[in-house]
Amino acid sequence: MKKNFQRIPRPTRLALLIAAPWLLAGCASLSGTGGIEPVQKIAEQHLGQSVGVARSAAEQDSAAKRVDELLAKPLSADSAVQIALLNNRGLQASLHALGVVEAEVVQASRMPNPGFSFGRSKKGEEREIERTFGFDLGHLIALPLARQAESRRFAAAQRGTALEMLALAADTRKAFYTAVAAEQTLSYMRDVQGAADAGAELAKRMAQAGNWSRLQQAREHAFFADAALNTARAERARVAARERLTRLLSLWGTQTAFTLPERLADLPGEPKDRPDIEQFAMSQRLDVQAAKAQSEATARNLGLSRVTRFINVLELELSRNSSNEGPRQTGYEISVELPLFDWGGARVARAESVYMQSLQRAAQTAVEARSEVREAYQAYRSSYDIARHYRDEAVPTAKRISEENLLRYNGMFIGVFELLADTRAQIGTVNASIEALRDFWVAQADLDMALIGKPSLAGAAAPSVAGAAAAAH
Amino acid sequence: MVSRRDFFRAGGAVTAGVAAAAVSKVAMAALPEPVLQPSPDTMPPLLPSNGRPYNPVVTLNGWTLPWRMNQGVKEFHLVAEPVLRELAPGMKAHLWGYNGQSPGPTIEVVEGDRVRVFVTNKLPEHTSIHWHGQRLPNGMDGVAGLNQKAIPSGKTYVYEFVARRPGTFMYHPHADEMTQMAMGMMGFWVTHPKTKNPLISAVDRDFCFLLNAFDIEPGSATPKIMTMLDFNLWCWNSRVFPGIDTLNVRQGDRVRIRVGNLTMTNHPIHVHGHEFEVTGTDGGPVPRSARWPEVTTDVAVGQMRQVEFIADEPGDWAFHCHKSHHTMNAMGHDVPTLIGVDHRDVVKKISKLVPDYMVMGERGMADMAEMEMPLPDNTIPMMTGQGPFGGVEMGGMFSVLKVRKDQKPGDYRDPGWYQHPKGEVAFEWTGALPEPARFAAEGGRSMPRQQPATAPSATTELRARKPGSGKHQH
Ligand SMILES: [Cu+2]
Repeated sequence: MKKNFQRIPRPTRLALLIAAPWLLAGCASLSGTGGIEPVQKIAEQHLGQSVGVARSAAEQDSAAKRVDELLAKPLSADSAVQIALLNNRGLQASLHALGVVEAEVVQASRMPNPGFSFGRSKKGEEREIERTFGFDLGHLIALPLARQAESRRFAAAQRGTALEMLALAADTRKAFYTAVAAEQTLSYMRDVQGAADAGAELAKRMAQAGNWSRLQQAREHAFFADAALNTARAERARVAARERLTRLLSLWGTQTAFTLPERLADLPGEPKDRPDIEQFAMSQRLDVQAAKAQSEATARNLGLSRVTRFINVLELELSRNSSNEGPRQTGYEISVELPLFDWGGARVARAESVYMQSLQRAAQTAVEARSEVREAYQAYRSSYDIARHYRDEAVPTAKRISEENLLRYNGMFIGVFELLADTRAQIGTVNASIEALRDFWVAQADLDMALIGKPSLAGAAAPSVAGAAAAAH
Repeated sequence: MVSRRDFFRAGGAVTAGVAAAAVSKVAMAALPEPVLQPSPDTMPPLLPSNGRPYNPVVTLNGWTLPWRMNQGVKEFHLVAEPVLRELAPGMKAHLWGYNGQSPGPTIEVVEGDRVRVFVTNKLPEHTSIHWHGQRLPNGMDGVAGLNQKAIPSGKTYVYEFVARRPGTFMYHPHADEMTQMAMGMMGFWVTHPKTKNPLISAVDRDFCFLLNAFDIEPGSATPKIMTMLDFNLWCWNSRVFPGIDTLNVRQGDRVRIRVGNLTMTNHPIHVHGHEFEVTGTDGGPVPRSARWPEVTTDVAVGQMRQVEFIADEPGDWAFHCHKSHHTMNAMGHDVPTLIGVDHRDVVKKISKLVPDYMVMGERGMADMAEMEMPLPDNTIPMMTGQGPFGGVEMGGMFSVLKVRKDQKPGDYRDPGWYQHPKGEVAFEWTGALPEPARFAAEGGRSMPRQQPATAPSATTELRARKPGSGKHQH
């Protein structure tokens, strides 16, 4: 503790004490909202949703009430996102962390109180009484710099939390679409199983009536067995998709009984045509903005290093990308040295490299962002085209085949079992069309995210029942 | 019938979209006018206006080709071309035929006539005509490659020979036969006797038709030419019941029916209410000593039969092929038998996936004729036709011989349904049934099957369902 506490001659001490109020003018104060306004603004602007942090019991109650209200109705993509913003515990933790950062920022931009120490020690018969009155000179000198660094750190933390919130919103949307699709697939597979059940029952009666051999009955039974497998797969997929959504919404207990719509929303009439999408994303993306701000700050630090040569303020946020594991380490260090042996040449060279490093990082961020946006847009367009093809071509064709087969059944050109076999052949198309629509909505969520931050472009992760059904044949 | 002026236009219309050969107008100018027949109806007999006289035949749902006399030679003009043939109302087929129809027109000549037949090929591929059963110079027999060059598309060839013996014959291609016959290329040929022949009776009505079969997928119109035996439309003159005209005769008429078989299987042709004799084959008239009475005569593949009888029993008499599948229209060959399988309760599950599904077949196939359900385009129900007492539940090779007291000679029009004299129609028995004395049979099995010690226990039981019980008995 004593390390930072310097003995200062009395006159200087007095001068500093007089100067202190001037130095402290314009000092930051606590916002009272924990510094979440920029996050709230981004939520409103890009998601059309509100986000808040519940500090008091009353605030917690009102958030819980709102969540309950939203859960009372079948969820929509928007209401799911709203619940996540209000209720996701991870996000709430991050929002509280912003309050921590704000407090630190405010703390750092204030003059520490002067203090004194009093010591009394005894060595044999000898008594020593030590009295000091101290004031943190380093802090005083670094204060204007620290204030800048702190406000940048705070802004970075706010951007980080906003990105986290946007990623949560995107993940929630994707999980919502996946869960609805899984629900829809399951309900269809149950219908299929019902028909398979009917076929198997009919086959049994055929055998009982003496019209069929056991071989023929067994062959018909195979469809039933397949259908049961597919229903089981669809059930598993449904649980997995629902649980993922449940986790993102941080729901537990009776809340997990939320209801989903019966089917995915229809494909929009036309896909969005966005020739200027890269430029648009460049002006919007928070990670690009952060990289830019970082470079600008580094540039200012570089200038400072060049002029003063003895003040090092370069550590701010430099360790951001240094590790993939563990919590992100951010921070800064300001040190002032006496120019006795080293005239700071190496320090300036280092500052220049650091600046170049940050410029390259910013450029890399921008290049990646452009690529991500292109990919996301391409995924959006192609998934739209695929879903539209299913809607306009594949499903109507399958339907036409079924209708024509029914006509053939009517004319006794084919039997009921052939009719069921045809239905079997259409199952893959119906399931694939559900999945194509789901993929479109997921791609739309990815695109929305890519316009504002780094998307996770892994595509739909849910297991494909259509694929499983096709493989079974 | 259509004259030459319409011929090119009509021909063009029928062949539109088909790669048929164009035929030069100039080349056609010297030939007998080709005559087209757009109607599938039975045409009245064509009375000969020149040449030797004879008693004409009536081609069921067909017609006789007019001719011209050219210096004592009877000249006909056959045009091989794609045609649109109505198989029955509601179903049309894209066939190949002659002069607008399949089968082509009947050619009628008289024993000793010198006949010259111009054959114009408007098909997309070469063809030839074989004159089935005729005595003629070898080079006129019409087997492409063997007796002559095939007639290329767009060309006209001429056949000339003397119709040496009276009888019933056919004509059909002998070039890419499988395709061309599967597409309906065939026609009838009748050579009438020149003078009174002791083996050939003069008759009051003389009908003729060819047996032919197609395989046309329900909902489509072109026959599958690769089909070998599994045909689904069994026709008389490319018509199926209820599209076939009835055979209308006057009570007491001596009736001759000539049948030729160009399908790939035999057909036991059967008439109700009368006995007939087979009086001729494609080999000629049958000696009287060799004739015997029948009600069914089997017409084997590639054969002709002419049967004769006195139509002395008034009424509407069924007249059909006795292979029951040949009195059905297109039907599934692998449809499972559902008789006795109650499945009304599983319908709901099936109709979740197939919304308009209906139960059929658990009582037999008559359901099919009863229910009026939508079918694929361009097909006809497999059992159909309404009689005065309800559904006839027939198709394919089925028609009715209508014998009437007041049918005028030479009048071939349909007289309507037969008016039965009182008490001559089967009726529902409602009286009490006295128990008759019964004979107790003491039979046994002369050669019982040896049962293994561990006989399989599962045997198919006889399952008789009492009428009206309606309940499922398992
Ligand atoms: Cu038959």
